[in-house]
Amino acid sequence: MYIFRRWWDRHALTLGLACLALSTAWLLRQTQSAVVLELYQRLTLPFQAAGSPQAEILANAQVEELQQRLTELKNQNHQLQKLLDYKAVQPATAIVAPIVGRSADHWWQQVTLGRGSQQGIKVGAVVSGTGGVVGRVVQVTPNTSRVLLVSDPTSQVGVTISRSRHMGYLRGQSGNRAIMEFFDKVPDVRPGDVVSTSSFSQLFPPGLAVGKIESVDFGKSPAPEAVIELSAPLSYLEWVVVTPSTTTPPPQTDPQLDLQSDLQSDLQTDLIPFAPTGLTP
Amino acid sequence: MTALLLWSPYVRQLVNWAVTAGSVLLCLFVLHSRLPGMELLGVGPNWPLIWVVAWSVKRSPWQGAFAGLVLGLIQDGLTSPDPTHTISLALVGMLTALLQKQRYVQEDFISVALIVFGMAVLAETVIAVQFSLQSSHLMAQSTYRSLAEIWGYHQRIALSSAILSSLWAPVLYYPLNRWWQLINNIEQMQT
Repeated sequence: MYIFRRWWDRHALTLGLACLALSTAWLLRQTQSAVVLELYQRLTLPFQAAGSPQAEILANAQVEELQQRLTELKNQNHQLQKLLDYKAVQPATAIVAPIVGRSADHWWQQVTLGRGSQQGIKVGAVVSGTGGVVGRVVQVTPNTSRVLLVSDPTSQVGVTISRSRHMGYLRGQSGNRAIMEFFDKVPDVRPGDVVSTSSFSQLFPPGLAVGKIESVDFGKSPAPEAVIELSAPLSYLEWVVVTPSTTTPPPQTDPQLDLQSDLQSDLQTDLIPFAPTGLTP
Repeated sequence: MTALLLWSPYVRQLVNWAVTAGSVLLCLFVLHSRLPGMELLGVGPNWPLIWVVAWSVKRSPWQGAFAGLVLGLIQDGLTSPDPTHTISLALVGMLTALLQKQRYVQEDFISVALIVFGMAVLAETVIAVQFSLQSSHLMAQSTYRSLAEIWGYHQRIALSSAILSSLWAPVLYYPLNRWWQLINNIEQMQT
């Protein structure tokens, strides 16, 4: 008993502090480090996007985005005229948000926005910027939100070739490149084609500019692949536009789980029109 | 130093812990920003790792591993808890303490930079192994990265993260080490 008392007297403070540190860290992990992000947002408030030194790059990207959108709209219009089945899409209210932080880890391609649930951003909202689609909101705190970029390897989006309407899905390659995997064996695609989000994607609205085909590898098995150059300059962006998603996925705190359901819903919906052709002899 | 001597031991302890916690918070803030000179191929320095190394260099393996665990949990919260950063950072803390650097090398700057270089490569490798295990587990879902992708990417970021972290390590290590040494000296003087 005496030995224990002596040990306790000597180590009580250290033990208490260690418990405090561990429980704080656990709390931070459970709350997705919301406190840290909020504090960071407060601190960086005076520095947020005063002017844009990369104005030229952004301007170029904007021109390119507009050109791509034009191509996409032309093709879409052509399709719709054929179908005579046009449904108007209501424009949703958009929130403009500054990018205040980059990803806190090398393995994830994320950015932190300086607007959060108080400004009306919800998990699953679509983020786009100058140049096209940027990513999706995976977590929100009162004044910040975390966006998983399209360039993240786990971020998979249903996309379509604007010219030939051939479908596939896109896998990020961390950087300004992404890989598009086609569903068809022999897709009609060539370098320079414009890629936009497909109308089967449940997470992104159809017709958003994604990028341009850089090269195509037809020999790849099981399906041909193409390298896409993303049109949004992800590492230079300072402001983005957040639009609430039309389909709200169930709120989940774990971004990983969220992504899985994201891909599955994307793939399932994308694969449905393809499956019957694959089954017929 | 004289001012610190006059404070009561409890106040000094409190200030010591505040400085330590403050430095962690500072690391987390810098982690989010990409200041000029802090980026190589889109990768920045691994600040939590630098902090864990700075803390563990002159401490016991268990203290090192504990610091790694705490910082790992916080970084999990900031990015994604799956795969966790706790294993890599705890390992880094433990190994750094086991090196017993101060016994063999008195010089501080270059040796700490070298330790950070090695540990950064180790930490990225541990995370890459975790990703690989995950991908072999969940082959059916293609949400996860393929093995070739993981290790190709690992090569790229391990090197740039190691270079940048080791170059920036003294910025954090020097003031923190000075502070902890000061507190240590005072405590020894008073006992």
